[in-house]
Amino acid sequence: MSLVLTYRALFLASFQSFAQYRIQSLLWMLFAIVRPVIFLAAWVAVAAAQGGSVGGYTIGDFAAYYVCLTFVNQLVLAWNSQEFEWEVNQGRLSAKLLRPLHPLHYAVVDNIVFKASTLPVLVAILIAISISFNARYETQLWHVLVFVPSILLAAGLQFTFNWIIASLAFWATRMNTANTLWQRASFVFAGQIAPIALMPGWLQAIAYALPFWYMQGAPTEILRGGVTPERALFIIAGQAAWLVVCFAGFQVIWRRGVRAYSAVGA
Amino acid sequence: MIRYGRIARTFLVAEVKNELAYRLNFVLGIVEMLLVIGTSIGAVLVLFTQTSSLNGWSLPQMIALTGVYYLVQGGVNVVFAPSFEKLMEHVRLGTLDFTLLKPANTQFLVSTRHFRIVRVVDFLIGTSVVVVGLVMLGSAVTAWSVFTFVITLAAGIACVYALLLTLVTLAFWFVRVDNILAIFWAFTDAGRFPIDLYPGWLRFTLATIVPIGIAVTVPAEAISGRMSLETFIGMLAGTAFSVGFASWFWRKGLKSYTGASA
Repeated sequence: MSLVLTYRALFLASFQSFAQYRIQSLLWMLFAIVRPVIFLAAWVAVAAAQGGSVGGYTIGDFAAYYVCLTFVNQLVLAWNSQEFEWEVNQGRLSAKLLRPLHPLHYAVVDNIVFKASTLPVLVAILIAISISFNARYETQLWHVLVFVPSILLAAGLQFTFNWIIASLAFWATRMNTANTLWQRASFVFAGQIAPIALMPGWLQAIAYALPFWYMQGAPTEILRGGVTPERALFIIAGQAAWLVVCFAGFQVIWRRGVRAYSAVGA
Repeated sequence: MIRYGRIARTFLVAEVKNELAYRLNFVLGIVEMLLVIGTSIGAVLVLFTQTSSLNGWSLPQMIALTGVYYLVQGGVNVVFAPSFEKLMEHVRLGTLDFTLLKPANTQFLVSTRHFRIVRVVDFLIGTSVVVVGLVMLGSAVTAWSVFTFVITLAAGIACVYALLLTLVTLAFWFVRVDNILAIFWAFTDAGRFPIDLYPGWLRFTLATIVPIGIAVTVPAEAISGRMSLETFIGMLAGTAFSVGFASWFWRKGLKSYTGASA
């Protein structure tokens, strides 16, 4: 019960603070949209050059894929690794650690509020893109039903993984390189430059072995439709496995990190 | 002119000294750039596993274009972007007073005051990538194509500079313009592909509001020998106009600056 009340208070505070920066939130969303649209345009050109389809993907399929990917990206977004460095360096984490609540909870609430408040605009833009590129969805009802646990697992996985990177700030005072590494790994392996089926075989193998594809590309495939029940099951299993691994890893790293933490200069 | 060269050199030396205090940072910055550029080229290679031409651009030409993308980014990020970041802060805090009091052209001072030395690496890597593309292209690189490449690259960077200056000048009226700049940064990503790839509405946004698409595509066309004379002349005229406009706008904005205590 007390947790419910706590979360209610956290949500209220977070929502009020976001309401102040509405425009800013929408601008951050722009970053999420531009890149998928760019790669969509590139693949449309490739498909057009190859007579309308590449590796089984038609122009409409690409459009559906990248629209779904944008939607998924926004839902699984986690940005704590950027914020956390600052909190550690400035010593602002100290105040949070004194409170009886794990800092993770604040991040969860901020994360949900940001996504919920930007979603209506995002969906409107995605519908416009779908229409302008003639997107072709093969989504059936069961795809949507499986998508729900898949996106929750993906969001949890990305969030936890991001916190692992964030926790590195306990030891390193500058996190830029770790963040870049994470972003570029997502860029290559999560399905941003191409649907995984169109990547060269060896790259596919790496992508299946790493966690990044399970955070973005996997739920995207389910939402777009056209996956078999077996593949959907494979995806969910992979996501669950990675979530367990990452959560365990996070617990260990966080506990060690807090012990190592002293606000810079203290 | 010589005096301004000396001023720029003083700024540069100061920043180098500052940067050398954090050597590990510098090395990590280089590692990051290699990662970013390497993965970008990887993306192009993945696209070309499925096709041999992207809207008429061959793989070597696309690699050259990727190199140009980072050259333009480097040109902007080495000096203009960090300088303008500080400028916005000065306008907000009213500390621009100190710059205005100095006996030199203010536009020059605010545009060149700060350097992000590590981004020079963008230039080096970008140039190497262009060279790799040209070697793969195998066609004879003529003196004319190199000449037009250098000119259009400088013009492209100048166009982006003009746009940034115009946007930053808005700070004199609106104070907080970080958001407007964020739109610009969001769209820069689109420069990684030739602008003729994009559907009409997006091309319009890129080519007019955010000239980065032109700034990247035209030099890439020049070096791979596919640029027409009209494009070349149009590019020069467009650059002259936009830089002239930005400079005029800047002077106009400066007049509404009220200083720290006003």
